[in-house]
Amino acid sequence: MTTKRIRVDYMARVEGEGSLDLHIEGDRVVAARLGIFEPPRFFEAFLRGRGHAEVADMVARICGICPVAYQMSAVHALENAFGVRVEGQLRALRRLLYCGEWIESHALHVVMLHAPDFLGYPDAIRMAAGHGDRVRDALALKKAGNSIIRLLGGREIHPVNVRVGGFYRVPSRAELAPLAEELDRARDIAVGLVRWVAGFPFPHIERDYEFVALRHPHEYPLNEGRLVSSRGLDIDIADYETEFEERQVPHSTALHSHLKRRGAYLVGPLARYALNFDRLPEHIRALAGEVGLGPLCRNPFQSIVVRALEILYACEEALAIIAAYRPPDMACVPLEPRAATGFGCTEAPRGTLWHRYELSADGSVEAARIVPPTAQNQPSIEADLEAVATSLLDQPEEVIRRRCELSIRNHDPCISCATHFLKLSVHRA
Amino acid sequence: MNARIVLLALGNPERGDDGAGPAVAARLRGRLPAGVALRLCDGDLLGQIETWRDLEALVCVDASAPQGEPGRIRRLDPGADGLFRDISLTSSHGFGLAEALGLARTLGLAPPRVVVYALEGSRFTPGAPLSGAVAAALDGLAARLLDELVRLAAKAPARS
Repeated sequence: MTTKRIRVDYMARVEGEGSLDLHIEGDRVVAARLGIFEPPRFFEAFLRGRGHAEVADMVARICGICPVAYQMSAVHALENAFGVRVEGQLRALRRLLYCGEWIESHALHVVMLHAPDFLGYPDAIRMAAGHGDRVRDALALKKAGNSIIRLLGGREIHPVNVRVGGFYRVPSRAELAPLAEELDRARDIAVGLVRWVAGFPFPHIERDYEFVALRHPHEYPLNEGRLVSSRGLDIDIADYETEFEERQVPHSTALHSHLKRRGAYLVGPLARYALNFDRLPEHIRALAGEVGLGPLCRNPFQSIVVRALEILYACEEALAIIAAYRPPDMACVPLEPRAATGFGCTEAPRGTLWHRYELSADGSVEAARIVPPTAQNQPSIEADLEAVATSLLDQPEEVIRRRCELSIRNHDPCISCATHFLKLSVHRA
Repeated sequence: MNARIVLLALGNPERGDDGAGPAVAARLRGRLPAGVALRLCDGDLLGQIETWRDLEALVCVDASAPQGEPGRIRRLDPGADGLFRDISLTSSHGFGLAEALGLARTLGLAPPRVVVYALEGSRFTPGAPLSGAVAAALDGLAARLLDELVRLAAKAPARS
């Protein structure tokens, strides 16, 4: 029996550093491990003893790509603990801020990190020589997203204007007006981006994922909803720990999440789309159909198309919020700290981001738990790798290696969030 | 009047010698010639590229990694000095000045003149102040930058 090992020490175009070991014995993949060797970051421990007002700024430091997601899950959890709901224009502004993050994060991944895989380029700089217009489009989209975050968050990276109960300062209508001009152009670019990526050559593979995402009665989910799955799960976010658990594995400093009863599951764009297709505006559903994407997509390689559709959705949602905006009387609703436990769950660009805080009577943090999307997706990413490699066993190692790297990038993993690069090893026996 | 030349100061003032760029920018604030704008950047260089489109010149100042001569000032012409050689975009976390300039050049967004001043650092510890060698080099770096910007401003055509 022949054994084979394929190894990529530092895989490119993912956020963070990790490795992959693929062991092949004869005609069987016996192990596919996504190794994460970045040191643990201990944010949950840092938060202990901190005042509730410090949390939003601290958790923003977990990620430079999706700080808004961390802030949103945190403030929702703290407001839940204090029995406060943030409604009306403040809620809309939070949704607008989140749209900014979806636009900039998805544009970065779709064009700069993922598209080169499908077009045979080593990176976006080389791709820019042949597809300069698309790279310029991506920069324009990213700029539009960043403009939203800069205006509402005070700065583009690690924003500082989010607080429990609302914001420190809210914008005037006049301040939002230039964003609308930029977003009008971004919306047109997003339509072109959907058509472009839908034409990429996708490997034919379908995975039987259990999709998990938030679902809201009326909206495509960003800030709130119930946690639902494609196999019947439908729970309040407070019941997360009754259905999900995290396990330590030797090859990763990020905990692996599982459904207690069924194992691996998938969060992120494919899951949101599958579970909330009916919450997308009709013309976006029509565009999806026009480019060949049905209401359910199980091909992980086509996640790039879903991300492009979500960029379009976020541009349109942002424009609608800006058009309806009337500055609220107060930038923040009043709240009284109390001893309580609060839960928050929002849809980060990469998927569901769940937070729990136990608070003392003065509102300081006694315990915190943060479950990021990449940690949740690790078991499914490993299962993807096994499936992808199994379908390519007769192929040269280079082909297996490239397809496995692409397979990981399908899920835009943010390894830094989960605990940075991928080290891919394939062992054949 | 729109700026024809930008001085782009890169770095994080909370990371020891990485704060060299913002520190020298603080020395030059209010002293720049007409037509020169100062921009600070401590993170997203991708977002900067589009803003370079109509510039005549871009002067960047950043801290460079330790090479045994802390405080040494290097002036780089990115094209002539091979800054673009072997660059690749590996992750947004790894998207540095060379990658941004390389991408801008490929996209036709790089200004006709690009100059990089690098001040060699020795200590990049979070929360640390500038090292003595880097702090001592700031006045000299400010003077060289000002000379460069005055020369570039004199050559750049006036814009109404």
